[in-house]
Amino acid sequence: MIRFKSDKEDKPILDYSNLTFIRKLTRKMRDPKTKFDTKEFINRGEDYLFNYTNKNVGSVDEKRRKFLKSLIFGIAAAAVVGVIPGLKVLVPPTVTVTSGFPKSLLVDSSGNPIKASQIPVNSPFIVIFEYPMTGEPNFLINLGDSSGKPVEIPSTIVEVPQTGKTYTFPGGVGPNKSIVAYSAICQHLGCTPPYIHFYPPQYVGPSQLTASEPDQLTAAALLAAKQAKVPALIHCDCHGSTYDPYHGGSVLTGPTVRPLPAVVLEWDSSTDYLYAIGAVGVAAYPNGSNGVPTNNPNEDLSSSFGSPVGDKTTVQETENPFSS
Amino acid sequence: MSSKLSDWFKERLGLDDLPFFKTPDYMYKVDYWLGALVASAFIYTVITGLILLLYYNAQAGYNSTEFVINSVPYGSVVLYSHLYGAYAMIILAYVHMFRNYFAGAYKKPRELLWIIGVIMLVLTLGTAFLGYSLIGDALATSAVDVGEGIISSIPGLSIFIPLLFGNYDAGDYGRVLAWHIIFTALIGLLFVFHFFMAEHYGMMPSRKVKDKVPAVYTKEEWQKFNPWWPRNFVYMMSLVFLSWGFILIIPNALAYLNGLPQQLNPFLNPKPAPPPNSPAAAHITTYPPWFFLFLYKIADFTSDVLIFLFIGVIIPLIYLILVPFLDRTEYLHPLKRKVFVGIGILMATYLIQTTIWGDLTPGVEIPVGQQVLVYLPPAIIVALGLTAIKPRTDNKGNIKGTISPITVLAFVLASSLFVIAGIELLANPTILTVGIFIPLAGIFVLTTKKIAPIALKAEQKSENMAISEERVPEWKKKLAEGLVAVLFIYAVVLAAQIWTIPATGYFSNLFGVDLGLIFLMLGEGISLYHYVVYRK
Repeated sequence: MIRFKSDKEDKPILDYSNLTFIRKLTRKMRDPKTKFDTKEFINRGEDYLFNYTNKNVGSVDEKRRKFLKSLIFGIAAAAVVGVIPGLKVLVPPTVTVTSGFPKSLLVDSSGNPIKASQIPVNSPFIVIFEYPMTGEPNFLINLGDSSGKPVEIPSTIVEVPQTGKTYTFPGGVGPNKSIVAYSAICQHLGCTPPYIHFYPPQYVGPSQLTASEPDQLTAAALLAAKQAKVPALIHCDCHGSTYDPYHGGSVLTGPTVRPLPAVVLEWDSSTDYLYAIGAVGVAAYPNGSNGVPTNNPNEDLSSSFGSPVGDKTTVQETENPFSS
Repeated sequence: MSSKLSDWFKERLGLDDLPFFKTPDYMYKVDYWLGALVASAFIYTVITGLILLLYYNAQAGYNSTEFVINSVPYGSVVLYSHLYGAYAMIILAYVHMFRNYFAGAYKKPRELLWIIGVIMLVLTLGTAFLGYSLIGDALATSAVDVGEGIISSIPGLSIFIPLLFGNYDAGDYGRVLAWHIIFTALIGLLFVFHFFMAEHYGMMPSRKVKDKVPAVYTKEEWQKFNPWWPRNFVYMMSLVFLSWGFILIIPNALAYLNGLPQQLNPFLNPKPAPPPNSPAAAHITTYPPWFFLFLYKIADFTSDVLIFLFIGVIIPLIYLILVPFLDRTEYLHPLKRKVFVGIGILMATYLIQTTIWGDLTPGVEIPVGQQVLVYLPPAIIVALGLTAIKPRTDNKGNIKGTISPITVLAFVLASSLFVIAGIELLANPTILTVGIFIPLAGIFVLTTKKIAPIALKAEQKSENMAISEERVPEWKKKLAEGLVAVLFIYAVVLAAQIWTIPATGYFSNLFGVDLGLIFLMLGEGISLYHYVVYRK
């Protein structure tokens, strides 16, 4: 700022930037290329002057403005480049729907097939594998009696209390015909492990009445086990549904009104490998708003929101829910 | 070249002849453009909503939501930012409304503009509720149940339930989806009116220019201001991209937070809750979406639904619609309309207070004594505060600004939080309450210190009557230019990187974060360009 010294106070006269502006403008006006047309000015007055200054001097140097503009367009181009992969959102993903159950080899986490004779009897660990779709867990249990010896599980007829219909559970497989697999999704409200899990014989007793979640048993469950003369249970801690693993996952106590769907296993005696080949019972997810399931477990496969597990499915030992 | 292109469009589109408000220099501040922010959130939400419409299946609400999140390429990015676009729209609409309330923008001649705005707020909340219900998760169904309960307990209103929700319980969300879209279309329609009316009257001038109604620039005055094209357009674009950036970044970053405490869930969790028929649903405390937490809390105050509706919905709404006709003074200064400013401060305070309360104790009934204890202190503080502050006029008869409504609002909020924390500490002395009390007490002391000299002495800042902008020094412009260059480099790097992000799965949300960052850079770049080129 140019200042004018008087006796006491400074008086500002002209801003420096204004001075440069005036110098620029006058230079442009004298320049023959951009000659200021006085006749036009007389004709059009102020407007012409404003337009002239805007065009020839501008508030910002035209070069700078162009450079800045190109940078902004550069960022905008970057934004467009960034949006392009996002347009994939318009491409519908392909959904694979299977018509039948896959034959899946049960493998451990490192990919080696599970040996049927090496599955521990009455293991308190929650052992699950996904089948037939990803995200649908099933228990793998080697059932035994109260002394820990494997028990042969015969084929049984299972009743669906909700509909009164029945189906045949094919029975256990393996060297002792003691290995079974049931859906690990409770048929009452869909609880999954650890809330629903297998209770080995040593945990089916009054001490579990006061145990903390998720290894509590209800008195009704204990009583039902006694009446059915089964040493072990599958019990859901959410609302207390109890299933009988020795008889095809049939209902021992409510609130569930459907047995656990069972996975059909196949045992290859020459290799000792186990395969999951299908399912029996009801569909894992109840169909329709009234909650009545179909008797056809194939219904589950028409879900467009999962994908089949393929020819191998991994058996995981998630945890031992019992603290003591 | 670019100026030729710009001129070409200007001529073809007749941009100079648009009946749009020409803007004076001092209005390029964000509080004059809050409406543009709401609009940009609205547009973002509409665009993402249309994309979601390609995938949403009303017959399987929850499953298709999961499908969008897990299987559609960048589906979770679109879905989460759709949710947060709506959140942003609600918050910004409130901010926009309260700012204009305190500024007196509802006064003549903008009464109709205001009323349409209030109706749009109601529609926005309704659309948000319907959209929230479309997920079909445990929280959505319980929210619908609560809504249905409220509607059906009023005699004669229960016919609206099947009208609104259709066969919701049977898992058919067709009606909800249709209403969600119809409401959005209505908002869009009203927005057109709101926008053109706003352009017609022009943005409300600063109080320093026009402190009495009707606060409008005459056509002759505004002809001298900056034309709409290109400056307003440039400024608007910077706001649009900045808000889109935040809408994209925040939810997609939050998607990586796991295991939030229950209190933070309704505000910060963009993911759907488990479906209502799942085991996990049994372990969820039900709460409504955050923008209805205040209503949910008021519903706990009384068992009479009519009283609840009157307190929570009808009275505030009728008040907001009628306020242009109740407040008939010609002055715009907040201190000349103390009663209305007081009501406004209390409305904002109560809204925040009740929302937080509803979040902390969802569905817990509150005795009347406790209600009084919570709602009385802010009322007393506001009443005393407003009577203590005297408007001062200078020798020309103009009112001088002594205290801003925002400061008052902050003070009320700080002091009521302080009072609540104090009560909580006395009732329940634990380390947690002490830990909460001490910082709040500190904030209270600080705000009191800030407000006390103004309130007691009504000390005045001498404010410049002229509202011309100060000239920006050249070095600042140079700095801004440098920043644009830096932003450009970052944007290019990010744009190259964004192609490597997988379309689905855990990392796909990084796409939203990155794209949001690029939008932020674009918005900030345009804003800096505006600064360099147009600021004097």
